[in-house]
Amino acid sequence: MERSASETAALIERLLSFSLPDGGLPYYRGNASAAEPTLLAALALSASGTAADGAAPFLAWARKSQNPDGSIGVNPGHRDQGVWLTAQAAIAFHHYGLNENLARARGFLLSLRSVTIAKDPRLKQDNTLTGWPWVPGTFGWVEPTAWSLIALSLSGLSGHPRAEEGARFLLDRQIPSGGWNYGNPALDDKELLPFWDTTGLALVALHGHADPKRIRDGLELMGKNQEKIESLSGLSWAVLCLESHRRDAGLARVKLLNVMGSLRDEEFHLGNFALGLIALSGKKVFTL
Amino acid sequence: MNRRQFLKDAAALVNFAALADVTQSAPPAPCPVTLLPMPDYGRDLSREIAAVMSADGLQLKGKKVLLKPNFVEAHPERPINTHVAVIANAAQACLRLGAAEVIVGEASGHRRDPWFSVLNPSLRGILDKKVKCVDLNHGDAVSVPNAGRWTGLPTFYIARPVAEADVLISMPKMKTHHWMCVTLCLKNLFGVLPGVYYGWPKNLLHFKGIDNSILDLAGTIKIHYNIIDGVMGMEGDGPIMGKAKPVGALVMSSFSLAADATAARLMGFDPQRIPYLFQAGRFLPGLRRQDVVIRGERPARFAEQFDCLDDFKGMRGGPFF
Repeated sequence: MERSASETAALIERLLSFSLPDGGLPYYRGNASAAEPTLLAALALSASGTAADGAAPFLAWARKSQNPDGSIGVNPGHRDQGVWLTAQAAIAFHHYGLNENLARARGFLLSLRSVTIAKDPRLKQDNTLTGWPWVPGTFGWVEPTAWSLIALSLSGLSGHPRAEEGARFLLDRQIPSGGWNYGNPALDDKELLPFWDTTGLALVALHGHADPKRIRDGLELMGKNQEKIESLSGLSWAVLCLESHRRDAGLARVKLLNVMGSLRDEEFHLGNFALGLIALSGKKVFTL
Repeated sequence: MNRRQFLKDAAALVNFAALADVTQSAPPAPCPVTLLPMPDYGRDLSREIAAVMSADGLQLKGKKVLLKPNFVEAHPERPINTHVAVIANAAQACLRLGAAEVIVGEASGHRRDPWFSVLNPSLRGILDKKVKCVDLNHGDAVSVPNAGRWTGLPTFYIARPVAEADVLISMPKMKTHHWMCVTLCLKNLFGVLPGVYYGWPKNLLHFKGIDNSILDLAGTIKIHYNIIDGVMGMEGDGPIMGKAKPVGALVMSSFSLAADATAARLMGFDPQRIPYLFQAGRFLPGLRRQDVVIRGERPARFAEQFDCLDDFKGMRGGPFF
């Protein structure tokens, strides 16, 4: 289904209505500006073809929030927390050609390593592989690893050893039936359930990094579950992953548009809403 | 680290109790705990819940109340999360007692997507329109000095709605836990820490020791009231992979440790053999059987032997009632 320009404009207008005087966007109304909604909104404006001026306050906010070591934290009040978000900053800096900021963000990402431990034959995963953690000094998990892999791939480092190992990390954490949980594929020999958001994100991140046969089950899982997925985040990732791998996401697209048009303020997660706009744009934002 | 090693380390918490830091002294008065029968989730018990809260001295008139359920992840056939009917009943009870504002807030430990937690239509659809649902994983947080000394963490980042609430009500599910033996009101405090700071799961707390983290949070964050959903608990390999275990009661108390210790006994565990509960007993009241006064139904009516992993069979005890 084609969206009209007026539908897109209305959704963008709603997103921008949450803008705060400091130039950023909050996760939810009533909160302070935070990195994720601000960065994803900048990407959504770029994908939607909105004039670069529209994103200028978001980019200025992000650049100002960048720490001397290149990282970006949750918000300016807690700059050293949530530095996994640096990957999203690197993606935004890449799209807007902010090369100096990108280089610093990328440098930080390359320095950020998950904790690894020796291989345990009783476990169904390889804990010697390095991915990216949510918090420095802890284990690697699917989501921060996937975001970091996307950031490196977009910015010309898809062949970097960290990117290659990140891809192996994600493939290692894949549930045998095809999707991804948040980390482990199994717990005490019991296969865990796939989550829509982590599965979609991992499939996007693995674009160009995995044998298509290896990720086919994951794509089929997302494709056949388009009807079941109800959430803004899940539908956004369904569209993004299926379309990035040239699969039909028509049903998820229709549902996503309906969800985005009917959210109450209480449910209005601006990071996820911006992600929805990126998905609806059909533009390659997270893949080359 | 595997579970066996983890438990060995945790046992040291009990063995070296004399070295433990004590941040508050435990008052000697017995702690009331009420067992409110709720045989299934189809009952409207808001009036009864309000009566118990009131009898326990909980003052809610004009207050901002935050109900903190436990939403870990959604799994249609497993009783993982606090049931929405219990949350709705508790919210209604708070409104009956004159609360100015009632918020249901959770920072789900496994699911980043709030649709699988407090923004799920199944919850929104059952709550009174006056009750707000807040995703604590994403949003403002305040830095609070860690009042305990177990993890070595200098601060906790607490979701702002929790910090701003006048009254915090912990509403966990009665479950076994494959690292901690049981997960109840105190463990439920992990869900006041935003995932955007701590991740999904909150792996930093695992690195610092789950026991240690519970104890530090218990010493730092004041829980004003506790309602454990024991209508349908979980036994075996909880908190995710276990099986349903009906108990048919809500466990209610102003005292978190008394509620947890009583629930543990109902589940067939001796709380004094569960390392983190034992240590919590050094600064919170209600650990020992004689520290608790049980009101309402006879506890024997609800006492069950919860199945558990082999590693926790040594923590069983009783019969207590």
